[in-house]
Amino acid sequence: MNRSELISRFLIVTGILLSVGAPLFLWARTPLIHARMAEDGGWNPDIIQAEVGKPLHLKITSDDVVHGFAVGQMEMQSVDVLPGKVTDITLNFDKPGIYTFFCTRWCGLNHWRMRGTIEVSGSSSDPEPASSLLYVSLDLDLDAPHDAPVVPNGKPSATNGQLLETNLPIDLSAEYYRSHSPYQVFNELSATTLTESQRWDVVAYLWQTNTTSTSLVNGNQLYAQNCAACHGENGAGDGVFADDLAAAGESSMQTMEGAMDMVMQSPVNFTDPRRMLGASPALLQGKILRGGMGTGMPMWGSIFTEEQIWDLVAYIYSFQFEY
Amino acid sequence: MAKIELTRIPFIKNALKSRYPQLAVFIVMLIGYIFAILAGLIGTPVGSHNFSIVFVWIAWWAILILVAVPFFGRGWCAVCPIPLPGEWLQRGAVLSPPDKRPKWLNLRVPKMFRNIWLQNISFLLLALFSSVLLTTPNITGVVLATMLFAAIRLSTVFERRAFCRYLCPVGGFIGLYSQTAPIELRIKDKQVCVTCEGKPCYNGSQAGYGCPWDVFPGGLTKNTYCGLCMECIRTCPHDNIAVNLRPFSADLAKPSTRMDEAFKAFIMLGSAMIYAGILLGPWGILKDAAYNVGTDAWFTYVAAFLAIIFVALPGLFTVGILHTKNTLPLKQRFASLSTALIPLGLMFWVAFSLSFVLTNASYILTALSDPLGLGWNLFGTANATWQPMLTSMLAPAQTLALVGGLIWSARTAQKAAGEVKVSPIPVIVYCFIATCLMLWLLL
Amino acid sequence: MRFRISLLLFVMAGLVVAFAPLPVPAIAPQERTFQIDAHQFAYSPSELKVNEGDTVIIQLVSSDVVHGIYVDGYDISVEADPGQSAILTFVADKPGSFRFRCNVTCGAMHPFMIGKLTVGPNNWLYRSIGLAALAVLGVTVSRKQKV
Repeated sequence: MNRSELISRFLIVTGILLSVGAPLFLWARTPLIHARMAEDGGWNPDIIQAEVGKPLHLKITSDDVVHGFAVGQMEMQSVDVLPGKVTDITLNFDKPGIYTFFCTRWCGLNHWRMRGTIEVSGSSSDPEPASSLLYVSLDLDLDAPHDAPVVPNGKPSATNGQLLETNLPIDLSAEYYRSHSPYQVFNELSATTLTESQRWDVVAYLWQTNTTSTSLVNGNQLYAQNCAACHGENGAGDGVFADDLAAAGESSMQTMEGAMDMVMQSPVNFTDPRRMLGASPALLQGKILRGGMGTGMPMWGSIFTEEQIWDLVAYIYSFQFEY
Repeated sequence: MAKIELTRIPFIKNALKSRYPQLAVFIVMLIGYIFAILAGLIGTPVGSHNFSIVFVWIAWWAILILVAVPFFGRGWCAVCPIPLPGEWLQRGAVLSPPDKRPKWLNLRVPKMFRNIWLQNISFLLLALFSSVLLTTPNITGVVLATMLFAAIRLSTVFERRAFCRYLCPVGGFIGLYSQTAPIELRIKDKQVCVTCEGKPCYNGSQAGYGCPWDVFPGGLTKNTYCGLCMECIRTCPHDNIAVNLRPFSADLAKPSTRMDEAFKAFIMLGSAMIYAGILLGPWGILKDAAYNVGTDAWFTYVAAFLAIIFVALPGLFTVGILHTKNTLPLKQRFASLSTALIPLGLMFWVAFSLSFVLTNASYILTALSDPLGLGWNLFGTANATWQPMLTSMLAPAQTLALVGGLIWSARTAQKAAGEVKVSPIPVIVYCFIATCLMLWLLL
Repeated sequence: MRFRISLLLFVMAGLVVAFAPLPVPAIAPQERTFQIDAHQFAYSPSELKVNEGDTVIIQLVSSDVVHGIYVDGYDISVEADPGQSAILTFVADKPGSFRFRCNVTCGAMHPFMIGKLTVGPNNWLYRSIGLAALAVLGVTVSRKQKV
């Protein structure tokens, strides 16, 4: 065999081995976290180990559509996870525990199922006392009907309420606001000389005093990112997935025998005063934290901080009151 | 217009006569091809960021249909890596002359397959799955690998490049459209070939291999089956092979009479129109049907696709030429006159591809820097944003291509009709209607 | 010679068909609002027709994953998440037919998620058909003259 034949064979074999071997080697050394729509598997892997005090470096990519990444109950800006691109992120944990990471950009009806956990091991310097949540300490039944028997004719006005409130014996504290539904407050005002609509205006004022503009802005943002796809951008329960949920509910009714009250439902209409004015902030907190248990309403407890939930609650009431 | 013999230029002649320039291109192409298979299999499943999709269906396709085929005919086949591993295996050598006794079965392809019907079928198979193939990296990877292995397998069973000649889904239409190209490989003097002993261009010699495309260069009258592999330039002992620059569409003056080629013309014309409607049109329901392979809608799409290509288009054509007064059998008139559809089909594909390629060309930059979607940034272009190019030039360019194609086809129709002595008017009207339809789909 | 003259005539006729200014029908510009639902892999409605000079307001509602809209020729775009509809406002000051397409990778068929915006009559299509007819006529006539 002559030299040129040998050299060309060598070049061909080396070239092929390199073109296969080098990318394969680099590929095997790049552990990626893959994001897919929940129907196609969600996060992979969905359990990540980490240690307190050691920065956790993650490389995340999306295999289909736009997703986002954030860790629940942590002070962090969510990052976008784009199809075919790699997002680098570094996380630091100072407390051990099990954290939930979740998708932050809507990616279909089952978007909220796209969750995973980060198991952080290590010891914590200052163990935080577990604070009891309001809806738990009030012992509220989250699934009991809570409709307000009486509703106002129009949207109650906080501005009018403020003028009326000055000489009324009314508790403006956060504790009182959080543990009472608008209807309960309305009812407690029945001893006064005010007309019904005036009483509703006072209720609106009470709600307004417990709502800052910052919390409304935060609440609005959280609502748009997490709730509006089902509950509708205007709170009317007519989000883009509302019909899909109803359809999914109908089909699940046939499979979930004996659990008729726990099947998928249409999303709640926050502009419905009967429903909203009969619910206390604590009740709403509980519903958001726990989720709808099979109704299609996700469980947000592992994701939102307590403050974020109060912001969200404050925003949801703004569908009822004229601030 | 006269022909210009390019091989008279010493630089071109030496570059073609030597094996090394072509071998260097071959090695690069083969590495790229194998890398594309790998990228399809292990890279990101997102097509627009995967080397296999972007470099095969955007970059390669653009070069093939906008440059290689119209200007160089089978120029792509001259550098295509698919037959190489099989051919090297078949010869037992990369450069050295082959052994006297064949290493493998070396059978002749059975007569019934020695036409382009298998290529018509393999193209249609890919065409029917094209929405998935075009967008799913691992499917593209599997198809590329399958073609490579099919080529290797066929090389061990049959003689020469059986895959290229009879099975390659792309080779079929490249061959058809290469007749329009201004490049040809021909002999210089017929008499030299008649008296040539041993015909080394076909049988091989110490200087090179016998025609891999199973063509005797001395008999070449059209580009269709000449793969421009340049072996005959190396083997001809009489320096009788030339590569010529010639007027466009020179081969079409002598219309073909083969039904497989006639139907290839309809298949290509029809698929260009169907793709323009499905992929570039605003009708989501058609896209769903084409993409969701295996569903009822997809079977409807397949039925419609085949009906348009095999019944509607050739049927209307037949009806059109039915009343041309002539003694020749209808079949022959059909085959000859369908030659007129070749330039039109090519320009349909050019117009369709312009839109697709200009819109998505910016993905090439991204995929170049991060071919597997692993977060690399090899050339600093990984974060180039998607941006359609030249959108304001697109519509005029498409009109130019389509109307140009129509003129070209009408002229071809006149020549073909002259050959079979009928009126070209029905064919021209047919081309005009098809062009209007395509204009409506694209504009 | 006669062939050359008629060729010249046809080329000139072609230029007239392609570029001759057409009378622009005087229609008072209006404001037009479209609510477009974007889902894998289509827009509905997918064909918009407006008059030249109209102010076009597109409210983009994504109903499965994040989608966007990019208008060819106008080079403007907007993105919308499900639950967060987005508004794209522009003045349709360029006549003709334009594709609009999704600019946020939204799954396999994303590159083919396409709609069509027609501003005024689609004159370029009619001009192109005119050119095609002229071309056919030209080829036929030149043949007759040569014979």
